[in-house]
Amino acid sequence: MHIQYLHWNAAHGWRGANALREPAQLVLYFGGREKLAGGERYRELRGLYPDSHIVGCSTGGQIHGDDIADDEVVAVALCFARTQVRLVEEVIESREASRACGARLARQVMAEDLAGLFVLSDGLTVNGGALLAGITEVLGSDLLVTGGLAGDGTQFEQTLVGADGEPSPNRVAAIGFYGASFRFAHGCAGGWDVFGPRRKVTKSEGPVVVELDGEPPLNLYTRYLGDEEAAAMPGSGLAFPLRIHDEAEPDRQIVRSVFAVDRNAGTLTFAADIPEGCTAQLMRANFDSLAAGAGEAGRQARNALPDGIEGDKLAILVSCTGRRRVMGQRTQDELDAVAAELGDDVVRIGFYSYGEIAPPAATGRCELHNQTMTVTMIAEAAA
Amino acid sequence: MTMHRLLARQIRQATDESGQVDLTRLGELVSAAYEESDSDRRRTDRAIKLMIEELEQTHRRAEQDSLRAREFLDSIIENIPIAVFAKDAKDSRYVLLNRAGEEYYGMPREEMLGKTPEQLFPRDIARIVNEQDRRVVDSGTPMFLEGHLLEVGLNGHDRLVNSRKLLVRDGNGAPQYLVGVIEDVTERITNEARISHLAHHDALTDLPNRSAFNAALDERLERAQEASTSFAVLSLDLDRFKEVNDVFGHPVGDMLMRAAADRLATEADCAFVARIGGDEFMILMPDEARRADVLALAERLVEVIGKELEVDDYLSQVGVSVGIAVYPDDGADAATLLANADSALYRAKREGRGRVCFFESEMDRELRDRRLLQHDLRQALEQNQLLVYFQPQARMDGEIIGFEALLRWNHPTRGFVPPDQFIPLAEENGLIIQIGEWVLREACREAASWPRPLQVAVNLSPVQFQAGDLERSIHQILLETGLSPTRLEVEITEGVLIGDFARALNLLRRLKALGIRIAMDDFGTGYSSLSYLQSFPFDKIKIDRSFISNLEATPQSAEIVRAVLSLAHALNIPVVAEGVETEAQRAFLAREACEEMQGYLVGRPDLIERYLDLVGVAVERRLYA
Repeated sequence: MHIQYLHWNAAHGWRGANALREPAQLVLYFGGREKLAGGERYRELRGLYPDSHIVGCSTGGQIHGDDIADDEVVAVALCFARTQVRLVEEVIESREASRACGARLARQVMAEDLAGLFVLSDGLTVNGGALLAGITEVLGSDLLVTGGLAGDGTQFEQTLVGADGEPSPNRVAAIGFYGASFRFAHGCAGGWDVFGPRRKVTKSEGPVVVELDGEPPLNLYTRYLGDEEAAAMPGSGLAFPLRIHDEAEPDRQIVRSVFAVDRNAGTLTFAADIPEGCTAQLMRANFDSLAAGAGEAGRQARNALPDGIEGDKLAILVSCTGRRRVMGQRTQDELDAVAAELGDDVVRIGFYSYGEIAPPAATGRCELHNQTMTVTMIAEAAA
Repeated sequence: MTMHRLLARQIRQATDESGQVDLTRLGELVSAAYEESDSDRRRTDRAIKLMIEELEQTHRRAEQDSLRAREFLDSIIENIPIAVFAKDAKDSRYVLLNRAGEEYYGMPREEMLGKTPEQLFPRDIARIVNEQDRRVVDSGTPMFLEGHLLEVGLNGHDRLVNSRKLLVRDGNGAPQYLVGVIEDVTERITNEARISHLAHHDALTDLPNRSAFNAALDERLERAQEASTSFAVLSLDLDRFKEVNDVFGHPVGDMLMRAAADRLATEADCAFVARIGGDEFMILMPDEARRADVLALAERLVEVIGKELEVDDYLSQVGVSVGIAVYPDDGADAATLLANADSALYRAKREGRGRVCFFESEMDRELRDRRLLQHDLRQALEQNQLLVYFQPQARMDGEIIGFEALLRWNHPTRGFVPPDQFIPLAEENGLIIQIGEWVLREACREAASWPRPLQVAVNLSPVQFQAGDLERSIHQILLETGLSPTRLEVEITEGVLIGDFARALNLLRRLKALGIRIAMDDFGTGYSSLSYLQSFPFDKIKIDRSFISNLEATPQSAEIVRAVLSLAHALNIPVVAEGVETEAQRAFLAREACEEMQGYLVGRPDLIERYLDLVGVAVERRLYA
């Protein structure tokens, strides 16, 4: 596999190095919502790669190498030697249709030699948990699925996904990788710690938590954030994700962060369903623990990648917008931690998301996460 | 100097391509980093403060919950009616005692808590308690004592308790508490004993019952077989007890039964006396009792039972008959011994009640013979072995007014079997209902064929009254035969009225309403309760033959006959004298204004053919019938 790395900024337009000798099968790009809206970047890339699948999404910041760029658009063009790529896309009509949408995507990519699936989804309309359930339902839980939900900084207004077309809302794209040579590895970790008492989700409706210990959950967040910061919900709420523990599935430890607020009702909407009756506990982190968590994800991914790789290795880092918000200028630390684990020979690209898709180390079942760093490694084995 | 990683990064970011550091930009970055750190610290501080508050609240709630749970458990422990205590495992000092425990020990907990057994109990008891405690602590295994007497406490020493002690260890596994539970099981154990007693004793007399007797007999047989000893079994039956029960009612019957049982048990105190049901008793004599001694005891029993008993103002008299069988002569197993004692009893009763009979092998034959006869009786009806005889009844001047129908059994090999032998057998197995109906039908059919409209009298057994639909079957027979109901007379004995008096009376009234005449048979024997005469308008009274046959011999009989006649006349009930055999008897009765007579003087019971002239059938019929 060969990788060409490109980036765009307003001053210089697209710039890249190491032109590919062969045409790329796949181009991935990530950028801020304003930069991608209108489709200009997509059309430019299409001009550069007329025969490639081009897929990208809006973000809460792009990762390229050691840096975070908010003003730039980053892209990689991938040229596989023995791997086939199929790109599929679905429009998601409503949140309730998430599971069916996942199943439809999965049926389109399903094939004997499907070796991995990378999903980029709308980050606000989709119920990420249901989307993955739909996918796993069709493809089984053995197939490795990773990816992320598109972001919109800390504005939570609109997220865009484009698959061989202009990026637009309410879309889910999935890239299927086929063939025995394809190598797919991942790591996923958070670095958050629970604190405070365990609380009971006394009332919930799907992803909307209506009562926590019998009171509106917004009250709890307002107390913890202080009035000033609470005004900046849901963005500020990212500092305190919830760890959800469901008695029905004791092995599953899920982290969920707020991404919508109803100030009148005092309810909070999370990225996936939160079952009534389960236990929720606030989580918090500091700069160092988050960086250490990211390092852990890098280590997992690197260890999971087998030897005998030929050509370039790509690491797609999907990290949570919440992490970036907590870490501020120290966000760089988590990228440094991943880089240190991955080593110098890996091309790194990625974005800050509204949700990360990867199987956690504990269960191995593909899940939607919040507040994690997930690292997906893509490579090809020697012939 | 090592520079902070962030500062190094900030300087890098503020440095342009020519290596020039933009200080304003750097200032902005550094300032922003401070802001971030400050807000992170504020958030953290706030979170920690809130968390502490919340955790304190949670802790308080948990404490309250645990307090409530403790109070809940305390109230259960306090209120269960079982004594519960806890002691320090080290020195057996009491640390907990519930209310039932206070009652058990007979002292308030304030006096007990904090004290050791030595400080609380007498020395010997404290020693036992301490030994038990040490054993449980040292071994770690619970102690469980069942149904032992109280060692301490005010409840008295007649109480039985189950007690239990177990060791509770602390978090490190070291002995911490001894928990004890003491349950008063006196009532339960007493009840168990009572139930066991009830299972083996008769509730009315408190004598051992049939199952206890069988067990004792089995045991005795086993012992006797091993030791080659002998012993006697007595089978006893109270005479006339049933009548007492029927006449005076069950409460009096019960008292009489208790009194009789008491007399039996007292007199036979050397033997095992059991009531095995109804009015039957069995006595198991001691080993090697001589025949003479057994007989003497049996006769004493007859004597004491025969003495008048005053029960609840009623003066009553019952008798007892005794049958005796001796092991091993009269049987080597329980079944044979009992059967033979029973057949001896049967013989004793047959010989006139109040008797004692040893078993003789002849009795065995008799008993078997009786069974055989009962068996044959079943076939008698089908095989036309039964006959109806007729005996004429007349006015004192000799005018024939009717016949009494009498049942006879002509057995193919035995010849005529006496009615007093086979009628009780038929009553015993219920065959009397079928036979009675047959007699009634034959008698009615016969009477209906007579040219002269004479009376026909038929005897009804008490069994017929108790079972079946007598009224319907009589009605049916009258319709079938065309006999006018006014020509039919049914004869009943007191036995019909004893038992379900109301039902019998009701039935008699309905029969009378049909036009049938009702005669009271065998009057003067049995109780001859005058209340019967009062309760039902009998059409006729029949004076028992025993009084008539003794008329000349005993002056009392004449007086009784006179009394009955004057009573009947006072009540306007005609009287028939039975068993009139001599002219002297007839003359006496005529003098005393007896209305009717029956007996050899008038004519013997015989086939109707003998009396055809009396019923008005011409000689032709006699020849060609």
